[in-house]
Amino acid sequence: MSRLRNIAVVAFSQAPIVARDEHRVASEILYPEVRSALDQCDVERAAIDYQVAGSTDYIDGRPFGFVTALDVMGSWPAKQDLHLEMDAAFAAYYAWVRMQAGDCDTALVCGYGKNSEGEPERVLNLELDPYYQAPLGLGPSATAALQASAYMARTGATDRDLAEIAARNRAAGAKNACAQLREAVPAATLAATAWVVEPLRRGYLPPYGDSAVCLVLAAEGKAERMCDRPAWIHGVDQRIEMQTLGARDLSRSAGAQLAAEKALAMAGLASAREADVVELCATTPAEELILREAMGVQAGDRSVVNPSGGPLCGHPLMMTGLIRLGEVFRQLSGRAGTHAVPNVRRVIAHAAQGHCLQQNLFFVLGSERRWT
Amino acid sequence: MSEPPKEPVKYVEANLRLPYHYVAGDYRARYLLALKDKKILGSKCSTTGKVFVPPLVASPESFAPCEELVQVADRGVVTTFCIVRIPVIGRNVELPYVAASVALDGADISIFALVQECKPEDVRMGMRVEAVWKPDGERQGDHEDILYFRPTGEPDAPLASFLNRL
Repeated sequence: MSRLRNIAVVAFSQAPIVARDEHRVASEILYPEVRSALDQCDVERAAIDYQVAGSTDYIDGRPFGFVTALDVMGSWPAKQDLHLEMDAAFAAYYAWVRMQAGDCDTALVCGYGKNSEGEPERVLNLELDPYYQAPLGLGPSATAALQASAYMARTGATDRDLAEIAARNRAAGAKNACAQLREAVPAATLAATAWVVEPLRRGYLPPYGDSAVCLVLAAEGKAERMCDRPAWIHGVDQRIEMQTLGARDLSRSAGAQLAAEKALAMAGLASAREADVVELCATTPAEELILREAMGVQAGDRSVVNPSGGPLCGHPLMMTGLIRLGEVFRQLSGRAGTHAVPNVRRVIAHAAQGHCLQQNLFFVLGSERRWT
Repeated sequence: MSEPPKEPVKYVEANLRLPYHYVAGDYRARYLLALKDKKILGSKCSTTGKVFVPPLVASPESFAPCEELVQVADRGVVTTFCIVRIPVIGRNVELPYVAASVALDGADISIFALVQECKPEDVRMGMRVEAVWKPDGERQGDHEDILYFRPTGEPDAPLASFLNRL
């Protein structure tokens, strides 16, 4: 791997996820998080060279809805800006790519949008192709169930296995002040919840929620001044798979496997098991199992998976992925508070977009610089 | 199978229904409720003192919070305007009509408004205008509460007085 620029996450701020914020519109939720992220770095907006955000106008319910966030992102004097109709984790990836050019040293990455004001199941149905798949009325819960079913058929995983994973996430989320669901629930209780789309029960599906997030990236030379313990990006890779669900093997994620391999190779790691913490954008226990398999991290390995509680404890669409990156930053930089994992040196954050893990993005980060 | 069908499928009907339930937000709610009482509220920048109407939670210019709400006048000055001669979807307004930027007295940015009760060709930059409200009992606390603006007959404001509020 040729030498790339050392770029680090230096700040992260997140509005605690709630089912519905009755008091604020999306930009009003975002504003204090942007202020907080800049305050963490002890800089003003003039210190930011580039800004990028992830959201979807279908969640906002209006075309070009994303521009309303510009007023609260510190976009003046006129900034270089990019908006993605994707989870903001992908925005962080594009910021990292943009910063490799060398003329931008700092970037602000925002995710926002109020899930509670629309109907996410209907919105995400529109991600499917409009001729064959969308008219069937399939939503993300149904396609996730197709994937779960395929995985269970191939591996023999049981309902009880899914319940155990959901319970572990819920127990972890109870310690995370930003999680939406903050009660530990035993596996037996989750396994007794109603089917939503068999083989997925209510207890195996994430709650949609409102939040807003802001993360700051900075390049070597500035990162050290903006954060006492920068989380250096060692490797990153993003892959997309085919749109037609039937053309993929849904029982596994070829895209996640390839993206993880490439990100690990860039980071100079032989295995994902070298990570102390892994945050996965797994919106069902089956997705967690599929992603673990794709990465080669199995139950019993030393890596702690989703100490935040993961998406099963809070799923603000378009932010859930960036929160994974923010969470590993918190773990690596000693800012995870009550859900901190001890002695974290190396971490992996994953983000996904689309039905059945169509797109996958992996970041590998460490407490030391990658390239010298 | 290699022959195309005699009557090819030309269209696929795809009806979308996406309901939304917007929260006004505590901040906007105060502004909208005030309209019911024929009052227009703006928010004051904690750093520059500039007043934004409708209120903004933060100044896009200074990036400082604007938590204080202040009342501004329901009259002001036409800054820039245009004469619309094409129908607008969703509005039933007689053509041509004047769409104007109106800088309300006490506000540092202008709002968009219709100017009526005068000929379009008589509208000019600097013209003084006032809000025409819906009658008492009919106001709902929304933007429709102001029907339009009309000339006050006061002398025009000099260009320098609104040049920074265009």
